[in-house]
Amino acid sequence: MEKTEISKSLRANEEYVRKRCENCADIQIRPMKLGEERKVDCLMVYIEVAVSNMMLDDSAIGKMVNHFWEVSPEKIQEFVANNSLGIADVKKLGSMEEVFSALLAGNAVFFMDGYDQAMKISSKGYPGMGVSEAEAEKVLRGSREGFSDSVKINSALVRKRLRDTRLKVEERQIGTRTNTMLHMLYMEDLVREEFLEDVRERLDAYEIDGILDSGMLEQLTEDVWYSPFPQYQTTERPDRAAQEILNGKIVLICDNSPSVLILPSSFQGFMESSEDWNQRFEMASFLRVLRYLALAAATLFPGLYLAVIRFHTQILPTNLILSFADAREGVPFSSVTELLFLELAFELIREAGVRVPGALGNAIGIVGGLIVGDAAVSANLVSPIVVMIVALTALGSMTLPNEEFASAFRLIKYVFLFLGGFLGMFGIVLGIYFLIAHLAGLLSFGMPYLMPFVKKKPERGVGDGILRMPFQRRWQRPLYAKRNESVRLRKKTEEKN
Amino acid sequence: MEFAENNRISHRQLYRQMVLAFLAPFMLCLFGRDRILGPAGIAGTLAGMVVLLFYVIFLIRLEPYYSDLEKSAGGFWGRVFGCFFVVYVIFTAAYLLTVLMEIVPESLLEGVSGKWISLCAVIVCAFGTHKGMQRRGRIAEVSGGLLLGSVALMMLLCLGQSRISYLMEMSVARDFSGRNFIKSTYGVLCAFSGIGLMPFVLGNVEKRGSAGKTAAFGIVTLVGIITGMLILLPAVFGWNRLLTEQYPVLPLLAGADLPGNVLARFDVLWMGFLLYSMLFAVGSLFHYGHQIIRQTHLGSGRYWMAAVVYGLSVLKFRGWGIEDIYGKYLAYVFVPGMILLQLFLMMRGKEKRKKKTAAAAGISMLLFLSGCAGIEPEKRMYPLALGADASTEGFEITYGMPDLPQATGQGKEEKNDQTSSLTITGADFAEIEEKYERTQEKYLDMGHLQVLILGEELLENGQWLTLLDYLMDEPFVGENVYVFRAKDPGEILEWKGGSGTSVGEYLVGMLENRTSGQKKKGVTLREVYNQRYLTGGMVILPRVRISGTKLEVWM
Repeated sequence: MEKTEISKSLRANEEYVRKRCENCADIQIRPMKLGEERKVDCLMVYIEVAVSNMMLDDSAIGKMVNHFWEVSPEKIQEFVANNSLGIADVKKLGSMEEVFSALLAGNAVFFMDGYDQAMKISSKGYPGMGVSEAEAEKVLRGSREGFSDSVKINSALVRKRLRDTRLKVEERQIGTRTNTMLHMLYMEDLVREEFLEDVRERLDAYEIDGILDSGMLEQLTEDVWYSPFPQYQTTERPDRAAQEILNGKIVLICDNSPSVLILPSSFQGFMESSEDWNQRFEMASFLRVLRYLALAAATLFPGLYLAVIRFHTQILPTNLILSFADAREGVPFSSVTELLFLELAFELIREAGVRVPGALGNAIGIVGGLIVGDAAVSANLVSPIVVMIVALTALGSMTLPNEEFASAFRLIKYVFLFLGGFLGMFGIVLGIYFLIAHLAGLLSFGMPYLMPFVKKKPERGVGDGILRMPFQRRWQRPLYAKRNESVRLRKKTEEKN
Repeated sequence: MEFAENNRISHRQLYRQMVLAFLAPFMLCLFGRDRILGPAGIAGTLAGMVVLLFYVIFLIRLEPYYSDLEKSAGGFWGRVFGCFFVVYVIFTAAYLLTVLMEIVPESLLEGVSGKWISLCAVIVCAFGTHKGMQRRGRIAEVSGGLLLGSVALMMLLCLGQSRISYLMEMSVARDFSGRNFIKSTYGVLCAFSGIGLMPFVLGNVEKRGSAGKTAAFGIVTLVGIITGMLILLPAVFGWNRLLTEQYPVLPLLAGADLPGNVLARFDVLWMGFLLYSMLFAVGSLFHYGHQIIRQTHLGSGRYWMAAVVYGLSVLKFRGWGIEDIYGKYLAYVFVPGMILLQLFLMMRGKEKRKKKTAAAAGISMLLFLSGCAGIEPEKRMYPLALGADASTEGFEITYGMPDLPQATGQGKEEKNDQTSSLTITGADFAEIEEKYERTQEKYLDMGHLQVLILGEELLENGQWLTLLDYLMDEPFVGENVYVFRAKDPGEILEWKGGSGTSVGEYLVGMLENRTSGQKKKGVTLREVYNQRYLTGGMVILPRVRISGTKLEVWM
């Protein structure tokens, strides 16, 4: 793309800026005169709320501007040309495109007559929420910090944990109208070049008008668009992002989104919680196994229930099936309709709980669940056992650490519900085969989604299976990292010997 | 990329593919009436293994010729050979579907047409089979070990049902002969004929030179399981009964229960594992079919192959289906033809995506709306005890039902006007079933039958043999049902315990709710079957009678 040069004439620059910023009431264009006898024309352009007056006063350039009141025009030119780059929060801009990019990113831009470059005066940028707790990934033990909406704050939160210059932060913009800033973080010596290239290629592959959240970016660049399974891992926790970078993965931070993307992702990754690394390995392993059971319950429970009560009653103890039969006496609907009704009612309560603000949302979840369940049983719309099935299924789904991943299984649950309800165990097996076949075909940036369960060679010391190995046994990085940098733990005494 | 783009599978994935693809077809189709059984079967299997181990070496050497059959055998012959293998793939897939069509409605889903079963299986198995080899490798990798472990566990649990005396029947049967041995050996070789497709796979296996060891290990594992089953089956069923069973694995599954009484029966779960393996086998056949078609430049088989396989599985010509000719095709056409073809290739010494269909969704919807027969639990009748006696019409069958509110303790507010027993008479069981259908609103669910009481007259006039035939055809009747004899089974079944307990629960309680030293010895239906096939007679059954207000059992 051709670039528009900055003119030496301030008037020309001002005209250009005013033309582009016509009807942009939030952009302030402030001409000023500096130096002895006010002979040097200058121009400051900034977005009103993004750049506070306080910042202008306190920044180095602000102080420099104050100093210029006393200096001769010739000396100002010389001073700016020689020293502006030496100031920490100032960067030279060579073209109007760079000027607008910096301006729209929330910085102030300073022009001076007779000088064919502009200066970006860095600011904290647009107002945001700041660092708060990661609501979607709460832990009992571990950092409380969560990502915010600002890409820069988010990058800084990761840098705070990985204080190493080998952590690279590549900045790029995406979206022709939103110019959304994107940071790509990786550990230079750990990341595989082919991953890096692949990510860069995919980010450059599309031209889109706007990216407003990492979710849009994810869907645009994933391998299989029709799969319900998330092909990027998301996290709101800087410690999780840092951990994955140490595993050789890449982290994509999108401006205006507290969810950062981790890639490549895998099935097992979605089943891990940040807490797993902070807890003792026995408990963490137990919880992981529990999560796998919860996953099975969240997906298969309604389908299995229907398969058993409609087709394979012989597998239940006699008293249990008699109990089910008795409980269903008087229910006017088929068990499929009954279960579907209650599952959908639960989805409604869940959705309402999310939309309704604050504590009222939680109350709706609990009260709605209790009242709807109880009323439905009393009105003979559903049998009590179905309420229990739906509740256990929901609990299973909520146990999964990643909401998007759990959502995929929540959706698939309905497929299994119909398969079990109309084809019994045969339908369930068909569904499981189909699901595994689909997952086996999924790739995330060339890496099989079912990693590490489908590793070609078993590797010792990685400890990336279902059970969380003790730290002493996890001396190798997972496959995502470069193989020549695979060792992550060694005893210092051994090194000395 | 090292993980996905080279489209190669590891040795472990090859091994697991072999196990997953062969296990269920072998378990279901290899044993039983007119198939591999007994000492000759065991010897034949081991001999077959030795031949197969050498054959694998030969196959490894053949791999370069298979990578492009047109180059190896010439344009015309290459295509002919390609067609030869594609026909095998289609016939085998269709045959496996007919097995599914037979066993699923019979032992898993009563009332669902086999054609629907076959259609569902074809749709699911054909999904994505044109995609890379790695995908199949990964499916096998994640599920192969689980399946192998489940089958091993199932066999282990079945050990508890086995008896040395039953096993000894096999040695008395004098089954071992040169003819039977050769027949069994050739049968095993035919069963393993799918190994002949291995050279098509080897091009996609890492370090293919040493893949022979993996394949050999796979063969040894499968032969180990076959041999184990050949010992286990007669030890559980007895030799004579085994000779009459078409799929002896199915009743075997019914007895493989895990301890702890979590579920009454586990056969449906074991069946699920076998079905998964069957689906994988059919999916693999589709995959290799595509591969062969591609390698012989015959176009694409993505859609037509699935359609042809489905058509072959459901169509019958003058009453003949693929299941009637498949065995002969394997024995007289494919296996000899393949060996000749491979020798020919060796002698010549030459080296040589995409449209998505929404049809699946449409068909699935059609399927769901087409009345697959799921019956709600409250619309079923659960006889816990069955009384059978002779009558002037022929048979008199009495079903002993539980008292529902009493059994569940839920006490829903409803009047309890259910009778605790139902008696139907008829000339035969078809008539009795027809009368039941005519007069009763609820579906008769025999899956919870716990007790069978045979009348004295029935036992004396030999009509009990007809009853046993009827019960054997009822797949949901477990073989762990206790059998008693009584003068008037109808009278016994009308009895109600003080706490409202039904006859079925009461009698089972009398046998099972005791410490091991006090336990009474009951006779199960499996023992009755065994005795019938062994001697043609009836075992000595415990007698049951009403004594005052109590039921009394004695030998």
